[in-house]
Amino acid sequence: MSDNELVLNEELRDVYQEVTNVAMGQAADSLARLLDVFVVLPIPNVNILEAGELQMALQSASDNESVSAVCQGFIGKGVAGEALLIFNDSSFHDIAKLMKYEGEIDDAVQLELEMDIASILIGAFLNGLAEQLDMSFSQGHPVVLGQHCDISDLISANSTRWNKVLTLEINYTIKDHNINCDLLLLFSDDSIDRLNEIASYLLE
Amino acid sequence: MARALPKEWDIELSFAGNGQEALDAIHEGKGDILFLDLTMPVLDGYGVLEAIRAQDLPTMVIVVSGDIQPEARERVRGLGALEFIKKPITTDKINEILTAYGIIA
Amino acid sequence: MPSETKLDISEFHWMMDMLQTIDVGLVVLNEKYEIDIWNSFMENHSGLEPSAVKGEVMFDLFPDIPRDWFCHKIDAVFQLHSRAFTTWEQRPYVFKFKNYRPITGTADFMFQNITIIPLVSLSGKVDHVCILVYDVTDAATSKAALEQANTKLEMLSQTDRLTNLYNRGHWEECLEAEYLRCTRSRNTSCLIMFDIDHFKKVNDTYGHQAGDEVIRVTAQAVRDNLRLTDIAGRYGGEEFGIILVDTDSMDAHAFAERLRKHIEAMVVKHDSLEIKYTVSIGIAEMGSSLGSYMEWLENSDKALYHCKRNGRNCSTIYQPGMEGE
Repeated sequence: MSDNELVLNEELRDVYQEVTNVAMGQAADSLARLLDVFVVLPIPNVNILEAGELQMALQSASDNESVSAVCQGFIGKGVAGEALLIFNDSSFHDIAKLMKYEGEIDDAVQLELEMDIASILIGAFLNGLAEQLDMSFSQGHPVVLGQHCDISDLISANSTRWNKVLTLEINYTIKDHNINCDLLLLFSDDSIDRLNEIASYLLE
Repeated sequence: MARALPKEWDIELSFAGNGQEALDAIHEGKGDILFLDLTMPVLDGYGVLEAIRAQDLPTMVIVVSGDIQPEARERVRGLGALEFIKKPITTDKINEILTAYGIIA
Repeated sequence: MPSETKLDISEFHWMMDMLQTIDVGLVVLNEKYEIDIWNSFMENHSGLEPSAVKGEVMFDLFPDIPRDWFCHKIDAVFQLHSRAFTTWEQRPYVFKFKNYRPITGTADFMFQNITIIPLVSLSGKVDHVCILVYDVTDAATSKAALEQANTKLEMLSQTDRLTNLYNRGHWEECLEAEYLRCTRSRNTSCLIMFDIDHFKKVNDTYGHQAGDEVIRVTAQAVRDNLRLTDIAGRYGGEEFGIILVDTDSMDAHAFAERLRKHIEAMVVKHDSLEIKYTVSIGIAEMGSSLGSYMEWLENSDKALYHCKRNGRNCSTIYQPGMEGE
């Protein structure tokens, strides 16, 4: 496939934007109910990025703070993707407060919080995505990518297994709290065609 | 969204890419009924509702949003929206609401 | 149609058979945390038969499971209808089962990843959840072994083999970090460079093994006098560097003199030989005029050569105008 084909046309971008909008709303609703807060919904970013660009996007999302991240693979109908949830480390203080954790927030507590929120955000988002696209996903077990690390360590820029990724990016913030996390759904080259095909049914 | 509107409905349809464009369109008399999203660049849906109320603009607002948090629903109702439809929308749902408000028979 | 029904039942039977035999733990709980299904994996690892657990509250049977923690996860699944996950990194296990390989395994117990999934009833309500228990002992133990090996490798790559002090590369990295820290915080730290007087003569007179012993004993003397925050490294053959964190030049001089006298008083015994030797010590304080850690290093070197020119076995604080070699 030539590189030129891997560009989103306006119509498909709109579809992804809408589908993401709905799925992220469902995920936000789950999180809001869990934490009893109001989640501020941003405009989702839909892009096809190269490895280097992805790293740059991640870097700007983290505001150069140290981050902690959880990823989870999923697959269905020939579409394989990975969900990546990145927390700014400064968020954990408020998350702990909302989840009613008392005492010191050590790495173990932080891991607990990360996993809880990852399960909910990623799970609800994938449910929303699958529902709209009339498919279902198998989910792998979530993996802790790193705690307190530099974001550029998370994804290697010179990955040889993929050239381009479709990214659906949602930056969640929570009203009146210092909580900032970035949810990314990444689909590599070989899944984009298949996903485009499935998404284009929504245009009919 | 446009695809979900009733086919036989005799209306003129304008699209706005963000909240400010929507307000401009209403000022030009292009919006008796406004289907309003909440997450938008430039000016979001809440801002549009506030402006409509502040300027007492003649339009009926139906919010169409993926934000299904109870607080979002309450806020838009508080700001004067007639209805809240959660995405993804269906023709049936729109028909039901338009009928309920006597906009279509 | 009878034949079709029959097929369904046999398919159902196979399905149940698979769920029983699969090497993953399956537990179905209702909203009161009472056990409905308990497959063979759970039966075999726990020693509890399905008939013994059915209808029992899971936490009564396994009082070791942190109830609040696990209920919180289960309740979220009931409430939000999405899956919950826990990894062995959070808690090594939920059910304390034995390691599958009692002889060749390195762990005492089974490391577990847990997935909790909502089960939707015919009425569309989530009134049960399924707990999946995965044995991840091999992955967990190899990750631990890998981390251990990496830590060891990292240590080895930073350590000088003869003295067990930091090697030059790592020590210089520490020096640069300290330089940058002082630049930011405007703290005062001191750098000491010292070497063994007439070391070549020690080597020539007593042999290289004796020379090595002298270096080893010198490193031990450094360690004996070091504070916890100080950072010592072997810079070259018989040259050592010490970073005295948050220490001004007067205190650094006192430290240097203590070390110098300590070494002067020592007698190194090698084979039947008794070796006495002295050291010369250069001290340089971190200052705002220093453009890089290299300049800091040069200053302490100049102070060291000042000692050499002034009869050795002494310590000198760097003063502007001192010349190098």
